[in-house]
Amino acid sequence: MDITTLGLQQTSELLKKKEISSVELTQEYLKRIDEKDGELKSYITVTKDKAIEQAKIAQEKIDNGSATVLTGIPMAIKDNICTENVLTTCASKMLENFIPPYNATVMEKLDAQNIVMLGKTSMDEFAMGGSTQTSAFAKTSNPYNKNCVPGGSSGGSATAVSADLCVASLGSDTGGSIRQPAAFCGVTGIKPTYGRVSRYGLVAFASSLDQIGPIAKSAADCGTILNAICGSDPHDQTCSLNPVPDFNALIGKGVKGLKIALPKEFFDKGIDDEIKQSVMNAAKEYEKMGAELVECSMPSLKFAVPDYYLLACAEAASNLSRYDGIKYGHRSKEGDSYAELVINSRSEGFGDEVKRRILLGNYALSSGYYDAYYAKALAIRQRIRQEYAKIFENCDVILTPTTPTVAYGKNEKITDPVAMYQEDICTVTVNIASLPAISTPCGYNKDNMPIGMSLVGKPFDEQTIISVADAFEQNFKSVKPVL
Amino acid sequence: MVKYLAQLSKLKFSEKELEEVAKQMTGIISLMDKVKEIDISYDPLLDNKNIYLNDLRKDEKKESMPTEKILSNAVNSNNCFVVPKVVE
Repeated sequence: MDITTLGLQQTSELLKKKEISSVELTQEYLKRIDEKDGELKSYITVTKDKAIEQAKIAQEKIDNGSATVLTGIPMAIKDNICTENVLTTCASKMLENFIPPYNATVMEKLDAQNIVMLGKTSMDEFAMGGSTQTSAFAKTSNPYNKNCVPGGSSGGSATAVSADLCVASLGSDTGGSIRQPAAFCGVTGIKPTYGRVSRYGLVAFASSLDQIGPIAKSAADCGTILNAICGSDPHDQTCSLNPVPDFNALIGKGVKGLKIALPKEFFDKGIDDEIKQSVMNAAKEYEKMGAELVECSMPSLKFAVPDYYLLACAEAASNLSRYDGIKYGHRSKEGDSYAELVINSRSEGFGDEVKRRILLGNYALSSGYYDAYYAKALAIRQRIRQEYAKIFENCDVILTPTTPTVAYGKNEKITDPVAMYQEDICTVTVNIASLPAISTPCGYNKDNMPIGMSLVGKPFDEQTIISVADAFEQNFKSVKPVL
Repeated sequence: MVKYLAQLSKLKFSEKELEEVAKQMTGIISLMDKVKEIDISYDPLLDNKNIYLNDLRKDEKKESMPTEKILSNAVNSNNCFVVPKVVE
């Protein structure tokens, strides 16, 4: 048995039963990263020494009986989550040498349970993209076909889980950045309800949409990690005060009597036939298990992509104005005045896609255009929220494809921003409406590339979508990538 | 237009880059123009439910992050940030 293929629960059992020590387990993963990641490039930084140190402490906890389910579990962390004294680059030249002086709240919470951090994973620069090809340091490959993209922006985190280079990982999701790479790499990822997880220490992209979440080998493993990272935080006033339940409490209760809605616009033209078929087959599986399928409609889906890009880029343009080359981040060697230094530092530090989004954001916010673009985008956001609320009056969860296509070639689309943006059609409305959604594999296309389906839940009802995803996973035969 | 946006964004482009960026921005903005097809307006009273005001932090004196930590990612001179001369 190859220990790196195991999920979180099984790995935790082995540690608890002392069939393997935390240090041995960590070394197994580091060895595999050495062997496989040269080609896959899922990590930007591998924190080998820190991992061994953390594993030793984890073993002490296991030995003295104070371990939790996450103690000693080797995890990978997306490189936009601040890790004290560990390089956090956001895959940008702007933060190439940035060493955070503090931990993100999620890291404090995971460290309190003594996880082992194997390293920081690659992503699209500043989480802006769906391919991980805009990373300044590691253009990650898809484990199922190394000529294809792993998706993004959390492409490194998804690849690392899919290729058994960690047990589970953290990603972040602003418009699909956890769910889309999870779908492309054949693994499970959840974007929690906005406000479930503290954003303190997550490098800001679009603050009203960003949310941290886990990517793992199953829905239950995602739930276990969510149990650890959720909860209110004095450092983030948008973090909810709602009580945090056991997210895995409904697992095994079945889907009998549950209403699953299928919005017809998500199965329209523009979505690959194989994907439609695969998601519909999953819907039929649920029907066999006793769920009721409900038809529904989201007329505003046609506005979702421009709506998302206007909101996200307006917020990004504001958030990224903090990079001036002075307090931290890339500082240009050229520039005799303050203004010149700022312009040069930003122009040298940011990549092309980040620059485009800053330009678009400032366009939408600028005098004379604000009402036509940004205020209209806010209005459409309200409309999309209302449409979701109406659908949920008559169902428990919503089922959609996660992506319109499977993972595409590394040289396709990525030079055409408009084509790239339209790829986000299936995921962005969830962020716009602040809802939770989980993506899990539901099939493979004719070229054996993974297909993902998404289950969208009511606000703060992660429990239901995790249990519904788990119900499908129990009978789904997943196929590992051949590396 | 792109020159003006670049100025607002504190970014600079070479003439050649400007040409390419202008082309791409034209495509992107025509995608964004889709939002003009719907005539609805924003109601600010419906929003801001995501700010939790009933658990505001107490206004208490607390230890700040040490200066050397704050400056650890900057050019540091005598515990100050260094900027080009701003006053003649």
